[in-house]
Amino acid sequence: MHDFRLPDRSVLLCLALAVGAVTALADTALLNVSYDVTREFYKDYNPAFAAHWKALTGETVTINQSHGGSAKQARSVLDGLAADVVTMNGAPDIDVLASAGKLIPDDWAKRLPDNSAPSTSTILFLVRKGNPAGIHDWSDLVKPGVSVIIPNPKTSGNGRYSYLAAWGYALRQPGGNEEKARAFVAALFANVPVLDTGGRGATTTFAQRGIGDVLLTFENEVALTVKELGADKLEAVVPSASILAENPVTWVDKVTHKHGTDKVARAYLEYLYSDEGQELAAKHFFRPRNPAVLAKYPDRFPALTLFTVQEVAGGWAAAQKIHFSDGGVFDQIYLKK
Amino acid sequence: MRLSSRRQLAPVLFALVIVSAFVPRLPAADDDLKQLRDQIRSLEQKLLVLERKQEIKDDDSATAAKTAPKISITDKGFTLASADSANSIKLRGLVQFDNRLFFGDNGIVNNSFLLRRARLITEGTFAKNFSFQLVPELGGGSATAASAFTILDANLGVAVNKALQFKFGKFKSPVGLELLQSDSWTFFDERSLVTNLVPNRDIGAQASGDLFNGTVNYTAGIFNGIADAATSTNADFDNEKDVVGRIFATPFKNDAGSFLQGLSFGVSASLGREKGASGRTAGYKTDGQQTFFSYAATTIADGQNWRLSPQFDYRNGSFGAIGEYVVSTVNVRPSATGRKAELQNKAWQLAAGYVLTGEDSSFAGVVPKTNFDFANGTWGAFEVVARYANLKIDNAAFPLYASAASNADEATSYGVGLNWYLSKAVAFKFDYYQTNFGFAPGAPALSTNAVLRQDEQSLITRFQVSF
Repeated sequence: MHDFRLPDRSVLLCLALAVGAVTALADTALLNVSYDVTREFYKDYNPAFAAHWKALTGETVTINQSHGGSAKQARSVLDGLAADVVTMNGAPDIDVLASAGKLIPDDWAKRLPDNSAPSTSTILFLVRKGNPAGIHDWSDLVKPGVSVIIPNPKTSGNGRYSYLAAWGYALRQPGGNEEKARAFVAALFANVPVLDTGGRGATTTFAQRGIGDVLLTFENEVALTVKELGADKLEAVVPSASILAENPVTWVDKVTHKHGTDKVARAYLEYLYSDEGQELAAKHFFRPRNPAVLAKYPDRFPALTLFTVQEVAGGWAAAQKIHFSDGGVFDQIYLKK
Repeated sequence: MRLSSRRQLAPVLFALVIVSAFVPRLPAADDDLKQLRDQIRSLEQKLLVLERKQEIKDDDSATAAKTAPKISITDKGFTLASADSANSIKLRGLVQFDNRLFFGDNGIVNNSFLLRRARLITEGTFAKNFSFQLVPELGGGSATAASAFTILDANLGVAVNKALQFKFGKFKSPVGLELLQSDSWTFFDERSLVTNLVPNRDIGAQASGDLFNGTVNYTAGIFNGIADAATSTNADFDNEKDVVGRIFATPFKNDAGSFLQGLSFGVSASLGREKGASGRTAGYKTDGQQTFFSYAATTIADGQNWRLSPQFDYRNGSFGAIGEYVVSTVNVRPSATGRKAELQNKAWQLAAGYVLTGEDSSFAGVVPKTNFDFANGTWGAFEVVARYANLKIDNAAFPLYASAASNADEATSYGVGLNWYLSKAVAFKFDYYQTNFGFAPGAPALSTNAVLRQDEQSLITRFQVSF
């Protein structure tokens, strides 16, 4: 038998090359971690963007979705859920990724137009057909015997906006002040029999389980629920005033750097501002930022007085600290049932 | 809970509705009726709220369970794992305590207790596809050698997919079939004579994987290279490397019901070059772990070595069998300047077992249907085993490279045994071995090695905990 000599370095090099070749075969994929009531919107938006990206670059991109209560979703990202982009319903759930997670820069809101919020919404009421409890405005929600469904403000952006909308309404009443606002919100949550962790869960409680006289939720969720269950069962009520809910978005730098998806993640969010993205937002009852697109749908987006979180609570940071932190105003007023 | 509370209240609600329907419509009664209806509505809402709260609580618990770390304590070890199981660390252990009795040897070999193996095994995975294994040996290993702490296995794995997995570090060289089987689950408490001719643990890198729906397994690796039966000491004594390959097929694996479903067969081979004293084997041992052949102290390895090993394993219900043949070729010199010779040593074995209590025979051990529990009258599983093995030294080894006076040139071993599996983790093994020796032409009538003056008869009893 002939002697055999093996050039050991070359063999190890071959092994290394084999590992490299196999690991280079991955598809481009994005994970969009979003809040509870955007499922239907992104079902339409993701294929639209994928087609746009394919036409633009020739690359195929797959977008995976994760939905839940916005604060819980933010916590999941902090705990390691590898979100390439986050699309939330309030700045606090993105701010925390900068402050606690160092996953994004502190000035993330300046990276895209309109505070990085390509659409807005507001909190409306959903009542049973015929409005048997006679609910027309915020003051009707605190009447004895009225049962109100709101998700938990500590885990849901939907719940936070509802809480702040009630607080703002009370502040804006003649003689309104913080003390009266606190009493008003306490009376409101005394009428809340069950707290869901997210907006979609609250809709289930009200619409599927038949609990409560009124559901407080985002405008798009009101429209979607009426459409799904039928106008013969439910109807929307537009109060005299409500809160402006911005829906901010950003890419998660630490994750996109690691995945090599910086470019596509940014493009995915920028496309939300395009005409097609804005039209899709309007189609799903999110108020588009583009005034021309918004003006096309006056019947879809009724006029009402909208106040901001800044006006009601001095901004999200103050609202979070005063109202929703552990031991904050909400913890003080809400008696667990 | 939701359903039961609803069922309890449903008759009450129903009764209230019926009663309200038949109450005469008097003015006072209308008020009562309205009150009753309001009460019913209120009760129904309370019931729905209770149900929904429980539903939310259940959802929260399920969500929490999805993200909560998992702790598993079983007879396979202690495992801590992330919720998605992508990251985990597992602690396992192996302790083998032996009693070794030798018969008819005139006291040449000590009858003794022996801590054969004592290992605390740590394994883990990171990001699902990356793994590690660390196995320190704390046991004595040999009845004659002092105990020494050694790192038996230390390796890292990268799993690309089932068909391509890489392993780097120190681990078993994939030549010997029985050697690749866990120490805990071989039919006998000592491996057969064949294992003398294959490399044990070596340092290197290998690729392996399952192909064709798991019916073919391949392994290919490059290692520092070690002598027969040797384990790497974490050092390489020359610039040469060994390449090792193995292909093993289980062609009927997916044919449920076929009597060939449990048949596996294949071939392994190694090829390399060794130099110096560390390149030759330290010696070949009997089933009783007595050395019956070793090269002269001055003999060194110098040149190519190769091994070839056809092998099979068969399992069918309670019956199992394993067989392998190994030819190991080495080039040696009697001294640094002596004449070089190519020697070829050969060995084979055939072993079989039958689980008397009906459990399946398995390459990965027998799992009793019931654990031993004296109070409840359950006894675990019992298995009888038998083995025949032979190892033949190349006669050209004598006398230049090894002494014919102090070595046997052939060993033939018969073994029978009884394995008692008290549980998956705990077992007793009772094995009787007889090893007959043959000698090279020119060997004296009475070997100068007292161990070889009579055939070896030994009874080795083992108590084992393996998890």
